[in-house]
Amino acid sequence: MAAVNGTSAADANSQIHKKPRLYADPSPPLFTPSDILYEFSHHDPTVARINNGSFGSCPSSVISAQNELQIQWLRQPDDFYFNQLQPKILQSRTIIKDLINADHVDEVSIVDNATTAAAIVLQQIAWGFAEGKFNHGDAAVMLHYAYGAVKKSVEAYVTRAGGYVIEVPLPFPVNSVDEIVHEFRQALQRGKQNGRRVRLAVIDHVTSMPTVVIPVKELVAICREEGVDQVFVDAAHGIGCVDIDMKQIGADFYTSNLHKWYFCPPSVAFLYCKRSINNSDLHHPVVSHEYGNGLAIESGWIGTRDYSAQLVVPKVLEFINRFEGGINGIKKRNHECVVEMGQMLVEAWGTHLGCPPEMCSSMVMVGLPACLGISSDHDALNLRTCLREKFGVEVPIYYRSPKDGEDGGVTGYARISYHVYNKVDDYYKFRDAINQLVHNAVTCASLPIS
Amino acid sequence: MNGTSAPAAVPPQPLHITPAEVISEFSHHHPSVARINNGGFGCCPSSLISFQRQIQMQWLRQPDEFFFNQIQPGMLRSRNVIKDLINTDHVDEVSIVDNASTAVSIVLQHMAWGFAEGRFHPGDATVMFHCAYGSVKKSVEAYFVRAGGSVIEVPLPFPLNSEDEIVQEFRQALEKAKQSNRRVRLAIFDHVTCMPSVVIPVKELVTICREAGVDHIFIDGAHGIGCVDVDMKQIGADFYTSNLHKWMFCPPSAAFLYCRRSSESSSLHHLVVTHEYGNGLARESTWIGTRDYSAQLVVPEVLEFVNRFEGGIDGIKRRNHDGVVEMGMMLAKAWGTHLGCPPHMCSSMVMVGLPACLGVLSDEHTWKLRTYLRDKFGVEVSIYYRPPKDGEVGPLTGYTRISYQVYNKVDDYYKFRDAINQLVHDAFTCASLPNS
Repeated sequence: MAAVNGTSAADANSQIHKKPRLYADPSPPLFTPSDILYEFSHHDPTVARINNGSFGSCPSSVISAQNELQIQWLRQPDDFYFNQLQPKILQSRTIIKDLINADHVDEVSIVDNATTAAAIVLQQIAWGFAEGKFNHGDAAVMLHYAYGAVKKSVEAYVTRAGGYVIEVPLPFPVNSVDEIVHEFRQALQRGKQNGRRVRLAVIDHVTSMPTVVIPVKELVAICREEGVDQVFVDAAHGIGCVDIDMKQIGADFYTSNLHKWYFCPPSVAFLYCKRSINNSDLHHPVVSHEYGNGLAIESGWIGTRDYSAQLVVPKVLEFINRFEGGINGIKKRNHECVVEMGQMLVEAWGTHLGCPPEMCSSMVMVGLPACLGISSDHDALNLRTCLREKFGVEVPIYYRSPKDGEDGGVTGYARISYHVYNKVDDYYKFRDAINQLVHNAVTCASLPIS
Repeated sequence: MNGTSAPAAVPPQPLHITPAEVISEFSHHHPSVARINNGGFGCCPSSLISFQRQIQMQWLRQPDEFFFNQIQPGMLRSRNVIKDLINTDHVDEVSIVDNASTAVSIVLQHMAWGFAEGRFHPGDATVMFHCAYGSVKKSVEAYFVRAGGSVIEVPLPFPLNSEDEIVQEFRQALEKAKQSNRRVRLAIFDHVTCMPSVVIPVKELVTICREAGVDHIFIDGAHGIGCVDVDMKQIGADFYTSNLHKWMFCPPSAAFLYCRRSSESSSLHHLVVTHEYGNGLARESTWIGTRDYSAQLVVPEVLEFVNRFEGGIDGIKRRNHDGVVEMGMMLAKAWGTHLGCPPHMCSSMVMVGLPACLGVLSDEHTWKLRTYLRDKFGVEVSIYYRPPKDGEVGPLTGYTRISYQVYNKVDDYYKFRDAINQLVHDAFTCASLPNS
């Protein structure tokens, strides 16, 4: 590459490799703090919004871009359908392919959310049983902390079809990845008992509640050693939260939401399916005239609906590249800040984190003072409502039932998130709210039922 | 007057939406396109788009609060509006889904489980029309046939002159099933077919199905609500689906799936499974993961919009029907062709024969001609290829499906008339069009 503006060729090269460029325009300036404030000015200003992990967030400039696309459709839908929609979906898929280091764009399908992706993968397992490819009692393995919807999907498609489900118990609080690896190996052994085949392993990349980062690469390798047919990584909190590299991770299926940590409007996710013979049988459960043309094409048209969230991915990439270090910079700062805030809170409350910092992503579990008396899932929900309505703090609470012999320990954890719009004050507000409840000797038993 | 304090007279608000207001509500439509294909993707007025935006912003502002406090009540409100519109007693019979294609897949997956779980036997049949919508045919293939079922197709005569022709063919198909000792597990048919578009005598077909012991009757009313009369008690089907974004002004996209209460209606499930699994289809459908539900939450406002028109939705349906028949006849006369069916078998769409000299001789020609009309003449309209039957002499092989909705003007149809006349004048044929 020729030198530009008197810089040396080496400098020019390092500039070019700093951020991926997918357009020819000169790079816009980096966001200032007040730019970021503006981009998220539609957020409720009275709420300490420390729960990006649940529903994500979307900046104003991306919302505007989405609105334009919506109007384009409404203006002349037939023309949009015949001339714009598929090229734009392909453009989004291509960007995602590069972001996740997949080989072929036809490995990348765009769907509504990770829940839909799970239904796609699990439905093909159901057909496996129904069509006699699998034997009654063949197993599927999933983590005990698998997301609620995924567990139900496994029940709806695997158990119902005759499969046997094994849950991997995970310790929590957890101290190292070894504990997770150990439990996983044991679960696979149970899966293979009595001549059973393990047809599918469902592994979270980052569990939801309680949240920890799972050593997926290691677990996928173990699955291959143990002859598991298919490995499905549920990374609802993947892209924008942890490093994701399809070739590194090596799973057969991998899904991640883009509206959680990747600034897309609701809702858009991708489902990666490694090219292999097994995958030709994947179908979108909503069947259209595209049936049989491959999952990626099927997913590109599932009847008349608003596809605009799937089409703004190029705009989102532009947005992200206006942050120092792009998505990697964002991930790094989110992680460091959430750990710092988590440690600030545990120090203030005299509790502990749910796992070591290196097992956190942009979310962390923070122990709540035992005196709050969180003793059920209901208590956790009631406390969350109280925090929202009385203190203007939005944060999910997790109930961790005590094990045998444990007494008077921490049974409640808050899952705090950190994202680009968060401020230290958000966490102080939370700290003070809990301190107030403790000071007033409030217990969950005394809270109104939500 | 004279120092008294009588209140100033306020000019009465117009009782109904005015023509100028209608123009304003659809001012975002492309002004240079004669948009006579509402049946394709529907339409949505500005005031509803604004309302939808408000809901979208409410979600983005504080999604957790919206999730815990707003979504369920909002969905229930929408479902209750639909329940009343379609004349059914129980709101739990009404589920809201994205579109008719989703509804079809839900019902068809339920059928697939019937085979997998041994309630149905290999070879058990489904009866459907040959011209069923593409996605419906594929859904039958993906779920019913794949699971072991067989398909009996009912040919739809076209052009046709009366409902009897349809009823006749349908009876024959059921007879065929009986002759071959196949149990009919599912009859699935349109309320208004897509292409070619005619209104099917659904009530009569449902009666015939019941007499013949068909297990389940599923009506695909994609063009139902806002287009024809949709009354669940009258029609009597087990399942009925209709899009609200086609003829009922909803933003994309919202549809309902009606499931008549029965011993098995509780075992229908949405395809995308969440924590709501097992709480009934209606409840399952209210949450299928994080996504934008705003189009489904504006249904009450949609009803308000519709009620601004004289006669509400019934007035709109009537005027659309009268308008499209009048325009259809104008075109048929101008081109020397005919309508595809009698006016009473049309809804707000009608099939109009195209001049034979245009040489529409394949499905591919219909795409090319449609593209040509869009690109060269600014006319957006669907084209249908009707293959000639053995022994027929000089039948029309090309038809166009014109729609009429509240935003349409006579000029839209004149523009189309003139475009076709121009093509005829220029001795144009489809064969001469380049490959797209």
